[in-house]
Amino acid sequence: MRLATLALLIGLSLLVPAFQASAQTFVFGAQGEPVQLDPAVITDGISSRITRQVFDGLVRYKGATTEVEPALAEKWEVSSDGRVWTFQLRRNVKFHDGNPLDAAAVVWNFERWWKAAHPQHDNQVKAGQTFEYWEGQFGGFDDKSVVSAVAAVGSHTVRITLKEPQAPFLANLAMFVFDIASPKAVERWGTEFGKHPVGTGAYKFVEWKPNQEVVLEANADYWGVKPKIKRVVVRNIKDNSQRLGALKAGEIHGMEGLNPDDVSVVKSDANLQLLLRPTNTTGYIAFNYKVKEFQDKRVRQAFAHAINKRGIVEALYGGTGLVATQFQPPALWGYNRELKDYEYNPSQAQAMLRDAGLRQGLSDITWDDGKKEPLVFWYMSRSRPYFPNPKEIAEAMAADLAKVGIKTQLQTTEWAVYLDKRKNGQMPLYMLGWTGDNGDPDNFLCYFFCQPGASREGFYANKPVADVLLRAQKLTNQGERAKLYRQAEQLLHDDVGRLFIANNQPPLAFVKRAKGYVPHPTGSEYFNTVELQ
Amino acid sequence: MRRYAIRRSLTVVPVLLGVSVLVFSFIHFIPGDPALTMLGERATPEKVAEVRARLGLDRPIWQQYVLYMGKVLHGDLGVSIVRGDPVATDLLRRFPATVELAVSAIVVAIVFGIPIGVASAVWRNSLLDSLARLGALTGVSMPIFWLGLVLAWFFGVQLRVLPTGFRLGSGTALVQWTNFALLDAALQGDWPALVDALRHLILPALALATIPLAIIARMTRASMLEVLSREYVRTAEAKGLSRRAVILRHALRNALLPVLTVIGLQVGHLLAGAILTETIFSWPGIGLWVYESIESRDYAIVQGVTLFIAVIVVGVNLLTDVLYAAVDPRIKYE
Repeated sequence: MRLATLALLIGLSLLVPAFQASAQTFVFGAQGEPVQLDPAVITDGISSRITRQVFDGLVRYKGATTEVEPALAEKWEVSSDGRVWTFQLRRNVKFHDGNPLDAAAVVWNFERWWKAAHPQHDNQVKAGQTFEYWEGQFGGFDDKSVVSAVAAVGSHTVRITLKEPQAPFLANLAMFVFDIASPKAVERWGTEFGKHPVGTGAYKFVEWKPNQEVVLEANADYWGVKPKIKRVVVRNIKDNSQRLGALKAGEIHGMEGLNPDDVSVVKSDANLQLLLRPTNTTGYIAFNYKVKEFQDKRVRQAFAHAINKRGIVEALYGGTGLVATQFQPPALWGYNRELKDYEYNPSQAQAMLRDAGLRQGLSDITWDDGKKEPLVFWYMSRSRPYFPNPKEIAEAMAADLAKVGIKTQLQTTEWAVYLDKRKNGQMPLYMLGWTGDNGDPDNFLCYFFCQPGASREGFYANKPVADVLLRAQKLTNQGERAKLYRQAEQLLHDDVGRLFIANNQPPLAFVKRAKGYVPHPTGSEYFNTVELQ
Repeated sequence: MRRYAIRRSLTVVPVLLGVSVLVFSFIHFIPGDPALTMLGERATPEKVAEVRARLGLDRPIWQQYVLYMGKVLHGDLGVSIVRGDPVATDLLRRFPATVELAVSAIVVAIVFGIPIGVASAVWRNSLLDSLARLGALTGVSMPIFWLGLVLAWFFGVQLRVLPTGFRLGSGTALVQWTNFALLDAALQGDWPALVDALRHLILPALALATIPLAIIARMTRASMLEVLSREYVRTAEAKGLSRRAVILRHALRNALLPVLTVIGLQVGHLLAGAILTETIFSWPGIGLWVYESIESRDYAIVQGVTLFIAVIVVGVNLLTDVLYAAVDPRIKYE
C-alpha cells in the first residue's frame, strides 16, 4: 500500500505544468526533418528554412517581394551587353569558422557548383547528391553552363561572365541554393558538410538531433540586422494537428503546415496569430490537344465559363486561396493586372458548346487516331500547395461542368503514376500546378510554354507565346521583360490554352507575442528579425 | 529439448528468406516509379533516367535482389536514397527510442492488464467486470492515432500538465550515450532531464499501451475463469486456504502461461503501433522514421527497417517457443 502511495505521489509530481520556452529561445515547428544542410545540394523547403539562417548569398529577396537587394555583395554592375556581372563584396565579413569572406571564397563556391571535376563537387555526386538547381538555373555543368568564367579581380571583387545574357540571373543568385559556404569547412567535412554547415548568416549551427530538432545560436558579429533572439530551435513535428497542439500549448512559437480546417481555429484563438505567405503557386486544368474536341477553342471557352472558381476558392481553401486569372501569381512582377478573366456563366458555356456543334453536350471524346472513349478527368491523389484537397476540388469542378452538359468521369492514381501519365501525354483532361523557385516570371512560364507541342504539356503548341517568352529570356531590363510576360499571359488567355483555377497562400501560425516574422513567397524567411515580446 | 531448439531455429531461415523476398517485391511492384516520386513536378526524362541509374532501378529485379541480400548478410542495409546516410547506422541510433517506448507501453499494459483481468474473473458478471470488459473492447477497437491526438489535446493543450509530444523539452540538453533517454539521464545523474524524459514518455506510452492492455486483460480474464473452475482450485479452497492465496498463488500462476504467450505476440503489434504513436507524438524512433521514409519513397530505409522488425518478431517468437518447451517438456517438434 505504501508503495502504491509513493507511486501515486511520483506520478502526480510529474504533472507539474511544463516550463514555457524562454524568451531567449524561439522554437519553430517544421513539417519534417531536414534532408541536409548544405544549401548547394538541397531542394526542399524544410532544409532551406534552416540554411537560410546559417548562410547568405551574394544577393537576397527584399522583404516580402521577389525583387533583389544586396546581401554579401554590396553592389554590382552589368555590362551593356548583359554578359559581364561585377560584384563588390561587403568587407570585414567572416564565416562562422573565422575565415574571411572574400572574392577567392566566392569564386571557390561557384567552381564547386559549376565544375564537375571539382573535388567537392565530384565527391557529392559519387555520394548520390546532385547540384540540381545549378543545373536547372544555369543550364548545366562545365561547358554546358551559361556561365563561362568566374574570376576574382580584386580581394573583394568578383566578375562573372556569361555566354549570353540571362534575364533571371540575379533572381537565380538570390535563391537559397546559391548561398556562400565556407570553403575551409566544406573541405574539412567533405560530404558530411551537410551535417556541419558553416556560413556567414545571422545564426550559427549548433546541433542537429536526428528526427528531433536543429539548434542554432545567434551570430553576434552578423553584418546585417543583429538577431534579436539568442537561440533558435527548429523542431520536427510531422503531424499537422499535433503541431498546432504544440503551438496552443506554448511548446513552440511558430509553425507552418496548417490544415485548411484549422485556419479558423487559429483565427479564433486569442493567443495566436495567422500569417499568410504571399502566393507563389498556381493550380490549373490542362487539356490534351490530341483530343479532337479540345482542339476547338469554343469548347475550351465553354469550360472556362462553366467552372465557378470563386465558389471553389471560397469553399475549399480555408480562406487562404485566391482566384487565378493567369499562370503567374499576383506577387510576380510579370503579372498582368489588366487581364480580364472569363466570367462564370453557365448559359454562355452552353451556348459555346452549341456553337461548337455539341448540342448534346460532351461526354465522349475522340482521340487523334479516331479512338473514342468517355471523358476522364484526372485529379492527383495527394495534396499539393496549389490544390490542398484535390479530390474535393475536382468533384466541385466536375459538378460545375455537368451543369452545362459536360459529363466527366473522375479518376485518380498514385502520384508517381500520375506524373508518368502526364509526361507521356496520356490524360485527356487533368489537374496540376506549379510552385515558383526564384520569383522570376521565366521560372513560371518557360518550363511549360517554351517548347510548343511537348507531350508533358498535353501537346499544347502556341508558337507566339513561346517566341515572346524566349525573347524575354534574353533581356536584362525588367520593365521590358515585364511587358513581354504580360503579353504572353494575354495570348495564353485569349487562346484558353489552360484553365488557371486558384493561387494559394500557405498559412503560418504564431503565438501573438512573436513579432517580426516576414513570410516570403519563396519561403525564404529569416529568423533574425523575429522577437518574442 | 536441444533437438527441438535447433530444429525450431532452422525453420526461421525460410521464414526470413520469404519475408525478404516479400518486402523486396512489394516495394518494387507497387505502382509508381520512385524516381518520379522523388522528382515530382520537375521530372524530365533525362533526370528520371539518371535517378533510376543511380538507384540501380535499371537492372533486372533479381539482380537487384541478389545484390541487396549479399550486402544485408554483411550487415549493410544500404544507404538512404534521400539523405545518403547508411541505413544500418541510423537504425541503431533510432531504435533505442522505440525500445524505450515499447517497453514502457508493455509494462503499463501488464501492470494494469493482469490485475484488471484477475478482478474481472474473480467478480464475474459484477459491475466491475462489465466495466472492465467494456473498457477492454473499447481499448481494442480504438485507433491509436485518434487516442493519441485526444490524449495530447486534453493533457497537453487543455490542462497543460504534460507535453504534447517529443522526447525531451527544447530546454533540456542531455548528452546521448546509449540513446535511451531515461538511462542516459540516470547514468549522468541529471535528475531534471530524467523527470523531463519521464513526462514526455507518459502519453505516448499510454496511447501505445491501450491495445495490448485490453488484450492482456481479456486473456487474463478468460484464462482465470478456466483455471478457477478446475478441481485443484476447489481442492485448495476445501483445504481452507484464504481466497487471496488461492487466487494469487494457485490460480493466477497457472492462468498466466497463456497470457505470457500473448504478451510475446504483442511485440509485433507494439512495433506496428509505434509507427502511429511515434508519428503523432513526434517520438524520434524507427516508427516515425519509417513513416517519413514511406512518404518520400526512401525504400532503402523501408526495406531495412521492415527486415529488421521481421527479424525481431521472428526472434521473439522463437524465444517464446523455446522457453515454452523448456517449461513444458510435453512440447516436441514434430
